[in-house]
Amino acid sequence: MSFAFRTPRRAVMTAAGAAAAVVLLAGCSAGGTGSEENAGEPVSGGNLVYATGDAEPTCLDPHVGGNYPQALAASQYLEPLVSKNVDGEFIPWLASEWQESEDGLSWTFTLREGVQFTDGTPLNAEAVKANIEHVQDPETASSTGYLALQKIESAEVVDDLTLKLNLKAPDSALLESFSMPWVALQSPKALERSQEENCAAPVGTGPFMVEDWVKQDSITMVRNENYNSPPADAAHGGPAYLESITWKFIPESATRYAALQAGEVHVIDNAQPDTIAAAENNDVIKHLDAPRPGASNRLELNTSKAPFNDPLVREAFVRAVNVNDGVSSLFFGTAERSYSPLSSVEPLGYSDESLFGHDPAEANRLLDEAGWTERDAEGYRVKDGERLSLEFPVSTNQSIPAEQSLFEQLQATAKEAGFEIKLNLLDLSSWYGALAENDYNLVSAPYTKVGPDVLRILFHSDSTVPAPSGYFANLSQVKLDELDEILTKGSETSDPAERAALYEKAQQIVLEGYYILPLYDQQNHFLYRSEVSGLRALPTVSTPTFYDAWLNS
Amino acid sequence: MPGSTPEQPVPGRPTVTDGDRGPARILGDSVRLPTTVRWLLAKVLGAVFVLWAVATLIFFGIRLIPGDPAEAILGGPGSQASPEALEQVRRDYGLDQPLLAQYFTQLGRLLQGDLGESYSLRMPVAELLGNQLPGTLLLSALALLVAWLLALGLACWSTLNGKAAAVVASGLEIAAAAVPHFWLASILILLFSNTLGWLPPVSTNSADGLVLPVLALALPLAGFLGQVMRESMLNAMTSPFALSARARGEGETGVLFRHALRHAALPGIALSGWAFGSLLSGAVVVESIFARPGLGRTLLNAVTLRDIPLVTGVALVSALAYVLVMAASDVAERAADPRLRAA
Repeated sequence: MSFAFRTPRRAVMTAAGAAAAVVLLAGCSAGGTGSEENAGEPVSGGNLVYATGDAEPTCLDPHVGGNYPQALAASQYLEPLVSKNVDGEFIPWLASEWQESEDGLSWTFTLREGVQFTDGTPLNAEAVKANIEHVQDPETASSTGYLALQKIESAEVVDDLTLKLNLKAPDSALLESFSMPWVALQSPKALERSQEENCAAPVGTGPFMVEDWVKQDSITMVRNENYNSPPADAAHGGPAYLESITWKFIPESATRYAALQAGEVHVIDNAQPDTIAAAENNDVIKHLDAPRPGASNRLELNTSKAPFNDPLVREAFVRAVNVNDGVSSLFFGTAERSYSPLSSVEPLGYSDESLFGHDPAEANRLLDEAGWTERDAEGYRVKDGERLSLEFPVSTNQSIPAEQSLFEQLQATAKEAGFEIKLNLLDLSSWYGALAENDYNLVSAPYTKVGPDVLRILFHSDSTVPAPSGYFANLSQVKLDELDEILTKGSETSDPAERAALYEKAQQIVLEGYYILPLYDQQNHFLYRSEVSGLRALPTVSTPTFYDAWLNS
Repeated sequence: MPGSTPEQPVPGRPTVTDGDRGPARILGDSVRLPTTVRWLLAKVLGAVFVLWAVATLIFFGIRLIPGDPAEAILGGPGSQASPEALEQVRRDYGLDQPLLAQYFTQLGRLLQGDLGESYSLRMPVAELLGNQLPGTLLLSALALLVAWLLALGLACWSTLNGKAAAVVASGLEIAAAAVPHFWLASILILLFSNTLGWLPPVSTNSADGLVLPVLALALPLAGFLGQVMRESMLNAMTSPFALSARARGEGETGVLFRHALRHAALPGIALSGWAFGSLLSGAVVVESIFARPGLGRTLLNAVTLRDIPLVTGVALVSALAYVLVMAASDVAERAADPRLRAA
């Protein structure tokens, strides 16, 4: 069976090969992310212990809510319709083929044959339809998945393995959305259980199954012996090598690293810059760097009020702070400076370094020009009796210590130009509260999503309208008709060249307007012991996958 | 937020116990009841009052902090809840009701013994507490025991070994009492796990997994208890009854163990109730650092997530444990000190 296909308009992707050749693809695609020094043959069996520093999910079904901790765990037991290879091209996973209609208003997905959920329910068009409806159902309380599937109006079962989706408007991000763990597929029979039951043990098609979840301690996942649905870039076929995974929650980073060193755990995530640097000198411990897609880590400058409603002050701020020195000294070479609104793993990311050079003299000139000519006794600039002061709420749940130190360094360098930065360390809920009250001039907020459509979420004026909770994603509060138009067009066009041009223009506008100060990629560092082989991160949202991994004793 | 460092202890009897004696006296004026019954009744009334106050303070306290519990229920970093989802959650959890209505609903449920369901873990709070309490109690009880042994040991040693030993002991106690839990825990991991490789950094209920967290909790407490115990022991050693014992030909060691030890233990017993409370707050830090499931870690997560039922549940259970330990320390104190029984 071949899955070469074309849309009437253009080729959505190049054929990736025959479904049976899944295994053959392994050799060329595993390079780059996996462990290179895989000596010897894969060994079957063993229990791998993974220690996460991310929060413990409140629900193991990533349709409910939808955050990164859920994506990390769910990548082991749930599988999405499509994936991406290391070159950023879409490749088959649970869907073997897909086709967009001429007008972009409908998509047809053909599912892989002979796949079963671990409760025995077959994977068919009905099942996918039930999943889409589950994500869209307000009772599910989905957030990330809900936003991703917003343009889907209805799903039609054409035949057992063919599903047609009707859209409200063309959606160029649809495949990107369907590659994310937040819309991965679950057994429709299992979804009919109560939400409590489904949260405790979702049923997917993945190489592992959730067996037990001891809250605040660990999740036990066991091998799915009937597994037959690896993504097209997997390194082998059939069931996973590992017999089980113990997914431990170890919030404290020093403890996590000590446990890795002691051999109590095999893999840790959220490795801190200092421990990564320490691990470089350690033969037993290896490093896997897998930056998250979507937005880069950036400071957003709130343009809805003084002083950042003045473009001169925004540029002055960007010129005044010395980001590069901070990044290189505090991150021990584990983070690279970004000059783009998008993550470096986004193929359509656009950078412009020239806009962000550290130039204190220029910063001073710009501030003079903007009328902030006086200085007070403490050296801060003053205009009409008001100090040039910036509120900067920082969420301690989302910001690692190195980043908080970076913010302190920015604070120090901004002071020389006469900016006062008030850093407020807050817990997550208080941080949301500060944003809802528009009580900020600077803010750093992560956003992970596959594809450049994240720009629409972050910079379209629609996103300045707060949800009833008070939260909104457009934290720089950019409202430009031109940008809105480009972002809407970009989300609707499937023509690669046109899409690339639109998103480049959108990023130019964002960068040149000094609405953000890009810092570095969203960090995703894994450290693992040398006895682990075949570990890689999925090229979609950079979650680790243990399907191809094994333990050398 | 629970404090990450315990409040500075105030030497002497904790005021809560003194307060508890109040109702007994008031009652005693009008109703003639046996002393023990009055004492017991006062304890129970005091406990009920403490539990009500805790439930009320937690309920309003957590609502004063900005942020929307509905958003917290749904989300976390990077996820944007849809308006529909938020509305659904508000309805499901009764967050759309006026604040006072929510308060009375919760109080009514608590009176029926229903602790509700956790927002963040989607499980009955009672079940969660049932799972987490034993681990924390084990940790706290062992820490209390170890602290006692260390404090008494140091007090005995310094008493028997003269001035220089007293100076050393006092220095050690002050240093230990001043060390914050999180720092001590990190140092212990660095030393015993990273460098020496003797003990695991991740705690379990097995013996080797308990050593480091118990030490992290016990050392600061031992320092504090030790200061009080040694003082009292030294006083006892120079008091007239010690003098007369010596006159009867008793050796220093005999005087210490037969007479002074009981005096040293008294303030220790009195402080143990308070100490237990401080261990529960120390557990917040220690359980997180050693990745140990328990009440402290549950509380930390629950506060971060604005999980009102869970925070209330943990606080109530902690308050109850505190009250019970206070009562137990009162009983022990009465047993050790005959003068109190007459009161």
